This record gives sequence, C-alpha cells and structure tokens, in this order.
Amino acid sequence: MISLTSPVRTRAHGWPAGAKLLALACATTALFLLQPLWAQAMVLALTLVLYALPGRHFLGHGLRQIRVIWPFVALLLVWHAFAGNWPEGIRTALRMVAALALANLVTMTTSLGDMTDLLHRLLAPLRRIGLPVGVIESAIPLVIRFTPVLIGKGRMLLEAWRARSPRRANWHIVLPMALLALDDADHLAEALRARGGLNPLTEE
Amino acid sequence: MQAGSGIQIQGLSHAIGPRRILQGITLRLDAPRIGIIGRNGSGKSTLARLLAGLVAPSEGRVLIEGVDVCKDRRAAIATVGILFQNPEHQIIFPTVLEEICFGLRQMGRSKLEARDAAQATLARFGKSHWIDATTEALSQGQKHLLCMMAVTAMQPRWLILDEPFAGLDIPTRMQLTRHLESSGANILHISHDPRDLAGYGHVCWLDQGQIRAEDGPDLLAEFEAAMIREGAGDDLADLAG
Amino acid sequence: MERNVAQIALFAALIAALGLVPKITLAFGVPITAQGMGIMLAGAMLGAKRGFLSVMLFLLLVAIGLPLLAGGRGGLAVFAGPTAGFLVGFPIAAFVTGWFVEHARLRHVGLRAFIGAVLGGVVVLYAFGIVGMSLSLGKSISECTMLMAIFIPGDLLKAAITGMLVAAIAKARPRALGWTANA
Repeated sequence: MISLTSPVRTRAHGWPAGAKLLALACATTALFLLQPLWAQAMVLALTLVLYALPGRHFLGHGLRQIRVIWPFVALLLVWHAFAGNWPEGIRTALRMVAALALANLVTMTTSLGDMTDLLHRLLAPLRRIGLPVGVIESAIPLVIRFTPVLIGKGRMLLEAWRARSPRRANWHIVLPMALLALDDADHLAEALRARGGLNPLTEE
Repeated sequence: MQAGSGIQIQGLSHAIGPRRILQGITLRLDAPRIGIIGRNGSGKSTLARLLAGLVAPSEGRVLIEGVDVCKDRRAAIATVGILFQNPEHQIIFPTVLEEICFGLRQMGRSKLEARDAAQATLARFGKSHWIDATTEALSQGQKHLLCMMAVTAMQPRWLILDEPFAGLDIPTRMQLTRHLESSGANILHISHDPRDLAGYGHVCWLDQGQIRAEDGPDLLAEFEAAMIREGAGDDLADLAG
Repeated sequence: MERNVAQIALFAALIAALGLVPKITLAFGVPITAQGMGIMLAGAMLGAKRGFLSVMLFLLLVAIGLPLLAGGRGGLAVFAGPTAGFLVGFPIAAFVTGWFVEHARLRHVGLRAFIGAVLGGVVVLYAFGIVGMSLSLGKSISECTMLMAIFIPGDLLKAAITGMLVAAIAKARPRALGWTANA
C-alpha cells in the first residue's frame, strides 16, 4: 500500500520522527497562543516556504494534500464577513490552514517504518499499565495486508453485479463485503494458529 | 513401528453444529508419502485441519511423532506444517520477509535469527531477490511458493497438503512438486485427484467422513472407477443435512 | 485470541476498503459514505471492546500516513482539520454501538443494531464532531450544530441500513456475532 510519504527526499526525511512530532505539537500550541494577525500570517508564510524549499514537485503534491481545507476557509470568511467581524475570520482561517499544513508536512517527510517505530515507543507507557496495545500493534501489518485484498474482492463483486444488473450496486455491496471480512478473519485466525498463534508477539 | 512415531489418529470424530463431518477414524500412518483421497465434501479439509491441530476434535485425538497437535501447540508447530488450498488464506503479512519470519519468531527465535533463517530459506529456493517484495504483488503460483517457503523454513517433520495444487497449471504444479520433494519433510497429501497421489506409498480413501479403504495396490484405480460411476448419476441434487 | 485479533484487523481493513466504494447519493440528494457505515458495523458486529479496538487500529494507520479515509485522505493533517472531532469520535461511536447491542434486551437483532448505531454513530459521533468543529472554527456549539444538521438525515438512514445488514449477517453467519447468543 502506498503511504502519503513524499517520494521527493528532503533533509527532514532523516530527522527523528519523535522530534518532528514534538515540534508539530509545539507549533500547533503556539498557533493557539499567538493573537496578532500578522504573527499568524508569518507562521503560515514560513510554512509555505518550508513546502517550497524541496522544489516545485513537493510543493504541488503538498498543496493537493491539504485542498480539503479550502471549503472551510471560504465558509469562515463568508460567515465572519456577514457578522461584520472579518479580522476574527481571517485569524481563525490562517491558524487552521497553518496547523493542517504543518501536520501534513510531518506526514510527507516521515516514512511508514519510522512512524510505526514511533508508535511503538508512544504506546509503551500504555502497555506498562496493562492495556491491550500488543493486539493493536501486531494487527497493523495484518490490516496493511488485507486492505488491498478486500478492495480487490470488492471490485470483483461489483463486476459480478454489473454482469447481471443494469443498475449500480451502491450500498448492497456492503453486505457481501462484510461477510468476506468475517470469512477472511476466520481463515486468517487459522493461518496464525497454524504457525504458532500470536502470543510471543504480544508478550514483547 | 515405534510407539509415538508417525501419525496416530485415535477414534477421531468431528461435528460442526448438528452436521457430522468425520466419524470414528482410527489410523496409524508412517510412510514418507501418504495420500488421502476423497470427493468434495467427504471431510478432507476438516481432516487436514484436525491433523494440523487447528481445530479441537469433537472426539478422539491426533498424535504426530507423539505430540498431541491440538493441545501442545508449541511442540506442534515444530512437528507439523500445513499448506492450504488457497494461498490467500495462508499469507498473513504484507511483505515476503515478514511472512517467512513470522513462524520462526513464534518458535522463539530472535529477530536476527529469524531474519537469517528467512534469508537462508529464500536462498535455498533461489528466490533471494524476493525478500522485500510485497505479497500482494505475487502471482498465484508465486504465492503458493511463498507459503511453502514460510512453512518449510520452520522445518516441520510433517507437511499436511490440503489440495494445494488444485487449479494450478502443469508447469507450476511440477515446479512446486519439485520444491516439496526436496524439503526433507514427510508428506501427507489430501486430494480429490488420483494423479496428485501417483506413486505414494500409502493411500487412504475418505468417503462421507469415514475411511472406506486403505492401502490396497489398486486403490487409486478403484477410486477413479467409482468416481466415474458416481459421475454418471446425479448426486448434486442432494442437500447437506 | 487469534480470532479476536483477526476480526479486529479485518474490520479495520473493511472500513478502509469501504472508503473506496463510490459515494452513495440518496434519492433526495444527500450523499452518504460507506465508510461511516463501516464504523457502525464494526461496533454492531464485534461488540464494544473489539469494535473500539478495530476502529482505533484504523485511525492509527491513518495517522501514520496511510491514505485510508474516504477520498484517499490520511496522515496527521486530518487530525488538525475542522472535522478532526468526528475522527476522534469514531472509536467511541463504535464502542457505544457495541455496548448497546451487547446489553439491550431487545429480541430483534436488526432493531438492536439500528438503535445502537443511532446512539453511537449519530448522537455520540456528532457530539464529538460538533465540539471539534467549534474549537477549530471558533464558532459556538449551536452554530456548528446548525451547520451539521443537514447531514443527520443521511446518517440516520445509514444507521437503518446498518440494522438491516446486521440482521442479514446474523442470518448468513449465525456464529459470527458473539452477542446474538443471548438474544
């Protein structure tokens, strides 16, 4: 499965994932504490510079990733313009875009492997107080394996539907897919058991 | 035959809900190549799962090399491996390396040892370049081979084959058979196709959950003749009770 | 043990796969995503604990950068956006749905799943979603509730479909639902 990590190698790809996440947390907190409009604008401008540094390809890819935010920006601006309090609207919009763009920057510059390792370290305290995080962690590769499998089977079901019906399958497809997931879970449980179950993995 | 060697099936019965799948099977099997032949629905797959210790039998038990394969899972995974009919049902992980390492880690090997053993297995099969491949990208035949590598890496004394060759083309089937022959494990092969079991030292005929015949020199030919007779009838009409 | 992990993993994969099913547009023009139905199904099928873990697992994979949300979205950014509250509410929604189906004394399996999905997938989920949106957009709770109200009919329908699906699954795989044993 293709992750959202950028194929354009940047210097930030080499930085420790934990440090990047901590920096993101600090930056997001700062965004909420900063009141002046010009400061918010500065942070966003700085973020855009970070996007532009690795080149045009990275910038374009990055901006596409955050395009879902534009309708909300438009909504905020229109809303506040009607209320007659447009500086507040601009401030909130700037903060929202900057926070989203910075978070996306961490995703784009951190490999899936680094993220999984970081997750393992972040979950360690929960493991110590006895929460079933081992189950969650050992299930991560299983999901990565079975998501494309289920998507493939879903496509086959849609084809089988189209072969015998002039109408779209829409939500009817969910029932057979849920049954497939249940059956695959039984097969997977059997395959796990055939090679020794999950216990030693979850003890770690 | 020593007590505790080979496969001992003792009074094995199995029911799923109200349906009785297997009834009172008792067998002692000890040959390097054992075949179980039977029609669809004769209980073959259930027998395979019981032999590999994946399911607890309703009655009776299975001992392989003296290990109760259902109760003692730790010893069982070092004793018996299983290849399913559909490799999609067997592959657990997204990459080839993870898939092969999994069983080895379950046997208590460290991460590094498991990795080394996985590399050695890949090299033995001449597939060292597969190590970082994603399992989803493999062809059907390649997926079968990966399952075989993942199981043989654990070096079990017995391999249970649950019709792993059904639906494969002749060259793929030949290559997989060759790899199996060189694995060093004893093989118990379950199939509906007499051609799969040609040359096997010991053959049992499973029919409606019971052993109908055992060993006889012409058993495969006898089975094939019976199948052709039954094929002329119409038992597809019968619904399972 | 293995079956629990396998079901948790497969339902996370199912939620992800449903993200690829094209948006369903209802007769009166309200679009609903199949993915949200996956959240309700995870709770209703697996029960509170396993449903929660399954949705949690899905979110963790989204967070570490897999594009599994409907529309191919993912990564940390989705947790910084105005709809982050809905994402945070997903596992709780599955938990509440599962808790209801496990504890409700209703004979009809589908009805149980429907009410559970309304409580978890609509009431609880919107509570989280609206609070999150209010924090992100700097708008009051009541303003955000008005903004989101147009989506509620679609989600109620989604809960109804979930109820029908669970009833059908209970018929097709009677052993699949652990909690129907005491129905």
